[in-house]
Amino acid sequence: MNNKIKVERAVNNLTQEQLAEMVSVTRQTINAIELKKFVPSTVLALKICKVFNKSVEEVFSLEDTD
Amino acid sequence: MNSKLLPHTYQKIGWFLLLPAFVAGVFFLFKSNFVDGPEMKTFGYFGDELLGVQKKAAIRIDDIQVIPNVISVLFLIGGLFVMFSKEKKEDEYINQIRLKSFQYSVFLNYILLFFCILFIHGIPFFHVMVYNLFTIIVIYILRFQYLIYKNSINE
Repeated sequence: MNNKIKVERAVNNLTQEQLAEMVSVTRQTINAIELKKFVPSTVLALKICKVFNKSVEEVFSLEDTD
Repeated sequence: MNSKLLPHTYQKIGWFLLLPAFVAGVFFLFKSNFVDGPEMKTFGYFGDELLGVQKKAAIRIDDIQVIPNVISVLFLIGGLFVMFSKEKKEDEYINQIRLKSFQYSVFLNYILLFFCILFIHGIPFFHVMVYNLFTIIVIYILRFQYLIYKNSINE
């Protein structure tokens, strides 16, 4: 699954640490999602999108392999 | 995320019990002949006498070796506390690492046991059985700590 968290963070001027705190996870979790090492739960995906004020499809998208 | 885990404080208590028990356990396995050492009376299932010479009740009060029993109990309590307590900040990614580590440790444990059964025989196999009581805990903790560590540096 692809995601644009890094881009959205830059747009919103947030560090990994700040975003992590806003959605109550560790910074490592945000990092792992950005590196595509971890696919977040639906709940966490929705929380992240809420921070960016975007819909889920705008931030997360399927890959061909999914 | 996972509310069934113990609070983070238990992890510190766990390490405090686990590490001395681990050192003592390894030392005991190498140095002891499993026969000498202080004994105490305790209640439990002892089964029949090994050679069937002296007939006693299977469930009775009888002597047990104090040192290996104390080490094992402390090791298990410490190990379980470390395994089943929350990290400082527990979230779904940590939870996934936790589950992966469980899978890894059970799998590796039985692979090791498989080869021990094939290649270790007689009295040395007794040692394998003793180690095997604790290997899932040890492998789990090593794997979990390694993944957490790798995750914190590999960015």
